[in-house]
Amino acid sequence: MFEDDETLQMYIEESLDHLTDIESDLLTIEEGGENIDFDLVNNVFRAAHSVKGGAGFMGLTTIKDLAHSLENVLGLIRNNELTPDSKKISVLLKGFDKLESLLRNIETSNDQDISDHVEALEKVTKSSLPEDEQDIVNELVDIALKDGRVFPAISLFEIERYKGEGKNLFLVEYDLINDIQRKDKNPIEVLNSLQKTGTIIDSRIDFESVGLLSEGAVPNRIPFQVLFASIIEYDMTETLFDIDKQYIHPISDEMISSSITDSGAVPETMPSLEQTSVQPVAPPAPPVPPKVETAAATTPQKQEAVKPAAAAQPVAQKPKKVKAQAKEQPSKIEKDIHVGQKPQTSLRVNVGLLDTLMNLAGELVLSRNQLLQGINSSNEKATELSSQRIDMITSELQEAIMRTRMQPIANILNKFTRVVRDLSQQLGKSIDLVIEGKEVELDKTILESINDPLTHLVRNSVDHGVELPAEREQAGKKPTGTITLKAFHDAGQVNIVISDDGKGLHPEKIAASAIDKGLITEQQVAEMSSKNKMELIFLPGFSTAEEVTDVSGRGVGMDVVTTNIETLGGLIELDSTAGQGTDIQIKLPLTLAIIPSQITSVGKERYAVPQVNLNELLRIPAAQVKEKIEMVGDAAVVRLRGELLPLINLAEILDIERTYWDPVKKKERADRRSNVADRRSKQHMISDSGYVIQDTDTEEDKSKRLKKDRRYRSASALNIAVVSAGAFKYGLVVDNLHDSEEIVVKPVGRHLKKCAAYAGATIMGDGKVALILDISNLAQIAELSAISEASQMAKSAEDELEAGKDKAALLTFRNDESEYLAAPLNLVERIERIKTTDIEQIGDRKVIQYRGGALPLYEISQVADFNTLPKREQQEVIVFKVKERELGLMVTPPVDALEVNLELDESTLRQKSITGSMIINDHTTLLVDIFELVKELNPEWFAKEAEIKAEMSEDGEKIILFAEDSAFFRNQVKAFMLEDGFKVIEAEDGLIAWELLKERVDEIDIVVTDLEMPNMDGFELTSKIKTDPLYNHLKVIALTSLASEAHIEQGKTVGIDEYEIKLDREKLMKIVRQHLNLK
Amino acid sequence: MAAKTKDASFDEQEFSTFYVGGALCGINILNIQEINKHFDITQVPQSADYINGILNLRGRIVTIIDLSKKLGLSAVAKTKDNRNIIVNSEDEHIGLLVDSISDVVSTTLDALEPAPSNIGGVKGKFFQGVLKTEQKLIGILDINEVLKE
Repeated sequence: MFEDDETLQMYIEESLDHLTDIESDLLTIEEGGENIDFDLVNNVFRAAHSVKGGAGFMGLTTIKDLAHSLENVLGLIRNNELTPDSKKISVLLKGFDKLESLLRNIETSNDQDISDHVEALEKVTKSSLPEDEQDIVNELVDIALKDGRVFPAISLFEIERYKGEGKNLFLVEYDLINDIQRKDKNPIEVLNSLQKTGTIIDSRIDFESVGLLSEGAVPNRIPFQVLFASIIEYDMTETLFDIDKQYIHPISDEMISSSITDSGAVPETMPSLEQTSVQPVAPPAPPVPPKVETAAATTPQKQEAVKPAAAAQPVAQKPKKVKAQAKEQPSKIEKDIHVGQKPQTSLRVNVGLLDTLMNLAGELVLSRNQLLQGINSSNEKATELSSQRIDMITSELQEAIMRTRMQPIANILNKFTRVVRDLSQQLGKSIDLVIEGKEVELDKTILESINDPLTHLVRNSVDHGVELPAEREQAGKKPTGTITLKAFHDAGQVNIVISDDGKGLHPEKIAASAIDKGLITEQQVAEMSSKNKMELIFLPGFSTAEEVTDVSGRGVGMDVVTTNIETLGGLIELDSTAGQGTDIQIKLPLTLAIIPSQITSVGKERYAVPQVNLNELLRIPAAQVKEKIEMVGDAAVVRLRGELLPLINLAEILDIERTYWDPVKKKERADRRSNVADRRSKQHMISDSGYVIQDTDTEEDKSKRLKKDRRYRSASALNIAVVSAGAFKYGLVVDNLHDSEEIVVKPVGRHLKKCAAYAGATIMGDGKVALILDISNLAQIAELSAISEASQMAKSAEDELEAGKDKAALLTFRNDESEYLAAPLNLVERIERIKTTDIEQIGDRKVIQYRGGALPLYEISQVADFNTLPKREQQEVIVFKVKERELGLMVTPPVDALEVNLELDESTLRQKSITGSMIINDHTTLLVDIFELVKELNPEWFAKEAEIKAEMSEDGEKIILFAEDSAFFRNQVKAFMLEDGFKVIEAEDGLIAWELLKERVDEIDIVVTDLEMPNMDGFELTSKIKTDPLYNHLKVIALTSLASEAHIEQGKTVGIDEYEIKLDREKLMKIVRQHLNLK
Repeated sequence: MAAKTKDASFDEQEFSTFYVGGALCGINILNIQEINKHFDITQVPQSADYINGILNLRGRIVTIIDLSKKLGLSAVAKTKDNRNIIVNSEDEHIGLLVDSISDVVSTTLDALEPAPSNIGGVKGKFFQGVLKTEQKLIGILDINEVLKE
């Protein structure tokens, strides 16, 4: 007989499918108000209807009744007899909610009480009808067939409605055996196909006729009755239904008679398919009078229903047996259905995609055959080819399989329309929800898991974010708030942004509240930026609402949200402006199973760092380790572009025995350094490692050092993966950095669940297992917060210390082996390596074809007293950009960038194009003045400046007040100001400049000032100038060696007009001329 | 064979035996997925001391437990006789590293005697019972107790 569970499962899935879009449809209908979108209403109507149709057949009476009531209301809307308003839609929404929950708990659905919903719906239905018609809403009628059988308990209201629509009613009797099962059909499919041509009012299995058994008869028919309304005429129906005409009964008015059963008794008269499936089938017999049930109920017959012998029992007892069976069955049904009840056990996949998968599987098989052949015949070429093919197919296969798991995010975003609607009504707020990027797809698993965090965030926005309409008006905003949910792809991740235009977060309020709750100390707060303060809401036990409401905020929340999202490998970021709104951005990986990762290694093992957490890779050469790594308390930090980055040594926190590659003995050795900062130089390191150093080793070592052996350097360098997770950003020190790979995440066993440092494991190409690091947990294990605080403090202390010194970024290089040179880094565009044979000699000039143009090449010996460059096969070229034109300076490597304190000797070794000399890394290094060099080589490039200079000398000189504490910079900058025809008044610090300004204000045209100076710094000087009406007409240009964001911000507030980097002569002079309205 | 074992589970069971430390122990053969000598193990720093590492077993990550250490003895000494006994427990494969593998013995459950408080230095709680054969004493391990975290 039928595979019952399968049919039921199919019904549930289909019904749920019908219900998915209902919510948004209803909400749209609500929005439309009187302008009813009939297509939408029809959609919803059909959904309710389909659910009802199947429910009757399945014997799910509660579902049928509810769906029926819903359908009645929708039918009225559809016929324009009822105007949907917010109240009515609410009733409908609740009804559909209940319907869905009934469907999800199908085994208990018949025991659920739905009277509230049905009553509410009936009230809506009645309210739209004239009084005399109201009664028929509840009235049930039976339909008596000509042979005396009865189709009981049909809603008269419904029948009247279809008749009113001019439809013909039929009672179609399929036979479950001959018409459906033998034709290899399925009852649900039959119902579905009927739906296309008309409407199913009700369906049921006519057990009365089956149950009438007479001895010796062979069962041959189980009538499956469908009450059907359609515009199709009777004579057409035979072809339509594909059954014999005798089983199609047109229904006329006289067949309809008032029902004797009330709706409460329906379950007994409507045995379900479930219950009949095990029944022996009886031959058709005289119809049972409907009343038989009552009589049967009193017959004390034992429960032998399932046994074949029962077939011989008296007719009148049949219904009782069915009942008895119904009682027997639930345990079985419950168990079976339980499996299907887990969220989404089946998935819809595009057929095209399945075809692709099939093709790929086919190709994989072919390639395997090729590979086997290749291996058998030892044909290397063939093997290689097929392995390439397999590689390609595997990637494609992987991608295709991934796509089958991808589901549009609309599935979960859509439901928020309802959430926001209900919540805002409840809270008396007026909120529009805008959803963008519904089509973005995410892995099914992720999609299911972000549902809760997202709901929480949206609820938060409604509850805490958007203000009450009155408050909003007071704040000068529109009374209706807007919450935007936006999903989009970015950099291989899915981003979801939840933004509202509400009151935003108040960092101070949050901080105060966090202190109140004892989550942090005041001292900690004092050191926090306002962003840090806002992020306090992610702390466990935090809730910003002043009152805890039903809607959100029970003190558990944001921390759970963060944890949930981080378990998914995602990130959450917060951005808020008080009074203007809050943006919460969630970044999620597209899929969980395969993630791109950076492979690193410590000791013998490899560890994978998820690419999501990886910011950059950093390598500190051995020679610079001592200088770049600083100790703050017990913690090591590295200075990275002006920021202090705490370091975590992976080997240290995981207690791994470290090894390093000993270049002398050509093997791995245990590394016994306990701290990264202990490393001074390679030579020291070896002795530190505690091995007896033989003299020969050391000598060999030294000779290698001189030859700048590559491996030697790489072995002793420090490898750092700069990673971030949430608020943490740190450098992870590892022994080696390997490739970036796509890895498959595999769960680890239960014995390792306690090891928080790992997010899982993966299998590498060689079959070995590598652990995946959990970057955020590692930070916690290392107690990183303490480190970062310490480093912040240290940084501010050091900044003060550094302020007095002049730092400049230089590029060092050589002319020949022994001539060390340097040039300001900011003028350098690129460093290139070219082949000497590519250099073309044109007249006395050298050029090379470069990016579609000719790049002039020079060497320093052309203008100054240096040796000519040694001849080599390759030539390093530093490309400078001067006057919008590029030129190349040929040099000898190594070329290196570094930041030095400028202590320049400007007299001893001064010559043309050389500013002076200083000691860098034990070498006397000459600082090249690129401008002078270019001017010497190409005087015509400076024609314009010459013009201006001439002009100025005619019109009277312009005077610059220049404040700078460093003698070097003062001389440098002054020199090029003078050269361009300006007159310069120098000041050694801000205070002197201020005094000079007071004396000679009438002469001075513009102020150029350093920022960090003793006595009075550039900020103070500027603020004095800008706040004094006597001087505030003067433009102030600030020169700085470190252009940090914070500085620029601070400078803007005091009124600095422009920022320039020290030694960027060209730009500085351009700006000065601009501000003085010169050409 | 499998069917026969199953039918006879009430009167006759098979136990795979092996040496851990000095003790001869046995596990019901039905708990065992396979026995291998696959030792390309990845160490897991910071894990419990009885965890030897993790292993790739045909695409599954299997935790390898040093059975000797887990039972409170010194770590399994590395010899060529070492084996991983892969057992099935709570839908997971877990490997038990043992010194060496011995015979499979057949016995009935009623032949099992209650375990003394200590067998070869191993706590009695790890044992389901003791099986006496002609030459030797086999401690039958309670796999659930052994695999408790």
